[in-house]
Amino acid sequence: MSASEERSWTAAVRERAVATLPPDKLLPDKQPSYVASWIYVFGVLSLSSLAVIILSGTILALKGPGWWHFTGIGHFFNSIHLWSVELFFFVMVIHLWGKYFMAAWRGGRKAVWITGAVTFLVAIPCALTGYVSQQNFDAQWISTQAKDAMNAAGIGSFFNLLNFGQMYSYHILLLPAAVVAIVIGHILLVRKHGVVPPFTVPTSTSQAGRDGAGPGAAESAS
Amino acid sequence: MAAIFNLNHHASYVHWHFFQLSVSNLVVILLMIIVFVAAILAPFPSRRATGGSP
Repeated sequence: MSASEERSWTAAVRERAVATLPPDKLLPDKQPSYVASWIYVFGVLSLSSLAVIILSGTILALKGPGWWHFTGIGHFFNSIHLWSVELFFFVMVIHLWGKYFMAAWRGGRKAVWITGAVTFLVAIPCALTGYVSQQNFDAQWISTQAKDAMNAAGIGSFFNLLNFGQMYSYHILLLPAAVVAIVIGHILLVRKHGVVPPFTVPTSTSQAGRDGAGPGAAESAS
Repeated sequence: MAAIFNLNHHASYVHWHFFQLSVSNLVVILLMIIVFVAAILAPFPSRRATGGSP
């Protein structure tokens, strides 16, 4: 390898990326046995819902309000978009509950927990701007009510619910891009640190909880 | 949904002291709790327990 190759930033980034997330960790074909529980499924269900949201939202953005209000197929995709959002929040909150009661920030997983929580927080204004972008009386009602809350919070001057163009931009570009970017970071962090193991339950007949042989021992020690 | 449920009336609310919540939101929250408990208690297919990623 020549001196110029050694100084290459692309090589440095590649080596660091592969060292942090080698291919077998990035795309594993096996998971620990404790992952065999339905409660671990809600993360990927959230991802699936998000994929349907992005896909249906892209079609709605391409076709426009006249299509989603006045045609049958437009109504259908509008409903797909709405109900995938409902499902996204439904399964994401169950995912959050599950990880909260597992204390999923253990074992150096603070960033995993924080990125998940931030995704939830960013998804809320993403949904709100969607409700006010519908171009109907429902959107007018929500925007005129919500503007008072924004004004009371002191952010109404730069986040104006009555400004359709601004809300639409937030809804179809800025906030979805933020959600997707944070979710990608969240998944990469999960791959890096692995799925959080359950708590070890010490029993009188087992030394697992005391001698560090249990599945959660490595986490509690770290 | 409007064809299944009659939505041509004011929304129903649960009101207890300072606590106010629409019945529809309450139903969704109860469904989430039911699904959460079921996800913990329901047995997972055994093939998954020994094999690949879920």
